[in-house]
Amino acid sequence: MEVAPVTTNPFFSLFVQAHWVVNWAVMLGLGLASVWVWAIVIDKFMLYARTRRAMDAFEQAFWSGQSLEELYRSLSERPVHSMAALFVAAMREWKRSFENPSRSVAGLQARIEKVMDVTIAREIERLERRLLVLATVGSAGPFVGLFGTVWGIMTSFQSIAVSKNTSLAVVAPGIAEALFATAIGLVAAIPATIFYNKFISDVNRQAQRLEGFADEFSAILSRQIDERA
Amino acid sequence: MKLPQMRTGLAISAFMHAALLAWGLFSFAARPLAAKPQDVVLTDVISATEFSQLTKGVKNAPTVETPKPAVEKVGDPKPAEEVSPVAEKPEVRTSSAQPPLPAPKPPEPKPTKKPPQKPDPIADALKREDARKASEAKPKAQPQKPIPPQPRFDPNQIAALLDKRDPSRQSITGEALAPAPPSLGTRNGADAKLSQSELAAMRAKLMELWNPPVGVQNPEQMIVKIRIQLTRDGKLNGPPVVLTSGRGTVFETARDNAIRALFMGQPYTMLSPSTYDIWKEIEITFDPRDMYRG
Repeated sequence: MEVAPVTTNPFFSLFVQAHWVVNWAVMLGLGLASVWVWAIVIDKFMLYARTRRAMDAFEQAFWSGQSLEELYRSLSERPVHSMAALFVAAMREWKRSFENPSRSVAGLQARIEKVMDVTIAREIERLERRLLVLATVGSAGPFVGLFGTVWGIMTSFQSIAVSKNTSLAVVAPGIAEALFATAIGLVAAIPATIFYNKFISDVNRQAQRLEGFADEFSAILSRQIDERA
Repeated sequence: MKLPQMRTGLAISAFMHAALLAWGLFSFAARPLAAKPQDVVLTDVISATEFSQLTKGVKNAPTVETPKPAVEKVGDPKPAEEVSPVAEKPEVRTSSAQPPLPAPKPPEPKPTKKPPQKPDPIADALKREDARKASEAKPKAQPQKPIPPQPRFDPNQIAALLDKRDPSRQSITGEALAPAPPSLGTRNGADAKLSQSELAAMRAKLMELWNPPVGVQNPEQMIVKIRIQLTRDGKLNGPPVVLTSGRGTVFETARDNAIRALFMGQPYTMLSPSTYDIWKEIEITFDPRDMYRG
């Protein structure tokens, strides 16, 4: 019986010899992706908890009957976020308009709303940052793992052909190692998808809260403008 | 502001993954991913001719078979029920001169080496019958008597002395476990020369004579199985018996043709008279597919 060499193409044999490089690159990349995903998850968890607490505290201070001027003075000393930032931005625009000698009250209402819109967009951008990484890992992770698996099974079949032995003892270890790539891909992708959905809904809830506060505050300022004008 | 928090998250995440990896390395290291070797089943491939020669039974066959493993006899419970309650005691005490064991050939210590003489149920039953009559006549006195005349002590038979098993249970070779009475050949063991060639010659002749309808939709309905009895000179002994039941003109034509073929090919001289016992009654299957298979 004539025995033909299995891999005659030098280019292909180069790839076969490099299969470990490919597999390890896939697995290492997926592992790093998993580490990064969990870092983002932990970071976002802390950020959203902090934001929620800050909002609660600010709303309590805002509706406590305290003078808005005093509140503004205490808050504008240091950089603030979320609802407080909204308040500070609106108050700054208000003060600029009234402390100016030529009081430009005419477009003040529109200007305040525009400033608050910009602040809300900036805050949401801050909350949403890096969430796209979760989405990307969640959707692409299984495919990358699958790629590693397919590559591993291909090379494992090549080695089967070389050894001319189809028993399970020869086939199984290579395929098991190849399937490990898919396992890592799923391990990275499943939490990423779950937490991405959770965080997106969290961000939406906080954005709603900011919008509500912006409308309320805008109404208050509008009344003040009409009284003073 | 942002960086320190991200750094905490990154540190926690990296630590978690490292811990998971370490756990996986330790818990999976004990179980290597290698499959167990498979059990090997050894088989011999023999031809049909070899098989028919194997089944040949000869009365005077040499007993130089390879020693077979001794096994417990599980079948044939009847003699044990009849004999064991009475014949038990005397046979155990005189175990150095046990009737069944040394009787066929005293020099051989192990009876398991001789399958042909051992499992002869009729002789055994007769022997036990004699023993029972004797023991019933003198239940107490008889067991003591045989000991003084035969004091020979064979060290090879200590095992027999120590054997406390029911004497009606005898060690026997594995082949005797088959329901058929054991012999060197099987009951239907044909002479090697009956062989497939004789049957094949008869088949070939019948197939030549058989003329089933051609171009039938499904030829399965033309399969006819017929039992015939033959005389010693190869002629039909009585009308053939059709064993297959069918309906329709196709089957009936095939059946009639088959019967006609059986009559036409009549003296079946290819069957040698020496094996008449085997072919005095045979079943023949007329299958049109065999004609095309060749």
